[in-house]
Amino acid sequence: MFNALRTDQLLIGIGSVLRAAADRGAALEDYERSQLLSAYSVARLLAAENVAAPAMLTWIKGELGPVLGDQEAQMAEAGSSIAVGEQLSLLFEQMPADDPRRPEIHRILREMADREVAALAAIPE
Amino acid sequence: MADHHDIDEPKAKALLACMRAVGSVSDDAQVTYLEQLQGGWSRHSYIAEIKDGDEQLSCVVRARPQGSTLDTDLGQEFRVFELLVPESLPTPAVHGFVADEDTPFDGPFFVMDRLPGKAINVWRGRDRAELQADWDGDRGIAEDHVKYLAAIHQIDAGRAAEAATPRSFLETVDHWQGVYEENRIVRDPVIDESYRWVRAHEPDPVEPALVHGDYRIGNCLIEDGRISAILDWELSHVGDPRFDIGYMSLNYHGGKFTTPGSELLNAVADHEWFAERYSELTGRPLDPEVVRTFSAVGALMLVAIMTTGLRIYSEHRTTDIRLAWTRFVLPGIRQDLAGIMDW
Repeated sequence: MFNALRTDQLLIGIGSVLRAAADRGAALEDYERSQLLSAYSVARLLAAENVAAPAMLTWIKGELGPVLGDQEAQMAEAGSSIAVGEQLSLLFEQMPADDPRRPEIHRILREMADREVAALAAIPE
Repeated sequence: MADHHDIDEPKAKALLACMRAVGSVSDDAQVTYLEQLQGGWSRHSYIAEIKDGDEQLSCVVRARPQGSTLDTDLGQEFRVFELLVPESLPTPAVHGFVADEDTPFDGPFFVMDRLPGKAINVWRGRDRAELQADWDGDRGIAEDHVKYLAAIHQIDAGRAAEAATPRSFLETVDHWQGVYEENRIVRDPVIDESYRWVRAHEPDPVEPALVHGDYRIGNCLIEDGRISAILDWELSHVGDPRFDIGYMSLNYHGGKFTTPGSELLNAVADHEWFAERYSELTGRPLDPEVVRTFSAVGALMLVAIMTTGLRIYSEHRTTDIRLAWTRFVLPGIRQDLAGIMDW
């Protein structure tokens, strides 16, 4: 959800590894082979993430909305998971330590982490 | 080993010069094989075969490349290896250190013996099965894993401080939070809250000890069912020894990625057995709550290192796509942290 590097940056990276392998005129060394395998893994995980991303965003906004109260409208406008993360980080900064919303948000973030890991495991065929 | 391999002459010359400067090889020595190993996130490692008269030497070159995920001092790592030579630990002898940034290895480097054994990858099912078989069998790897950790923690802390930097609990947390804040590309509320949690759970201090800092079976070599080498000391420091146990207790280090790994600690030994055996060997009881705190600190260290890698990759300071790949490790670590904090 709160992940650095956009899809386009990752696709460019995969392409660069493929190009470097194609340009090499000799057998691949261990390091180069590991680069190719990592690029393959990035492609598969990115595919899994992209399949799940829209539903994940809708889900977390739906869960957080009622907990946030007067900040619900602001969260509803968040157009990406990165924007959700930014808003939550700012909210935690301003929130008193004993704010009853804190454990509720933690519970949602825990479920988000579970869902995200499960989504990455479901690599599309 | 393939014999058709082209040897990079500038690298071969640089490594021989390094070894000659400390008298490890003669002027007639020649590099007969040199290849970069896969793996190595913050260091690049090369294996080298050297013929010196009738003698055949197997060495490893450890280099800190520009665009490393860890801004750690390679010189300190070299000094820690020197410190370990008289200890009864399976660590390699070292053969000289070159501190220059401008070398054929793209940065400073040192040379050490290549110890026998194979590396274990706990994220590979067959490697986890091998470790499980050890645990279900004679437990040679499990016993070595705990015995060597206890031995590391019993090295004289004063002597260790001559090689490795002392670091308190809060200095450790401050350090990794600083690295994280400096390099993060996006905000992550789970990580922000985790730093608040560890600061609220500062354990009572214990006698400082040499901390490996990245102690896990993946940083050891295995031969004939025993640990034959303990490597990768770049994160070593003098501090709270319970860090090593908390760090190796992470689910991630049991082989979890997007699916669960082993239930054994670091895929090697039962958690309780390890804690009891460690306490027996060191005479220091382990408080599970303190271990839990250090698991969170260890997870945050991993996040900081991976975040640095993502920053370096995003700024085109490296083409190493493994740094981009770590982006997909972070959700699982976030999940581990949420569990550690009882969310």
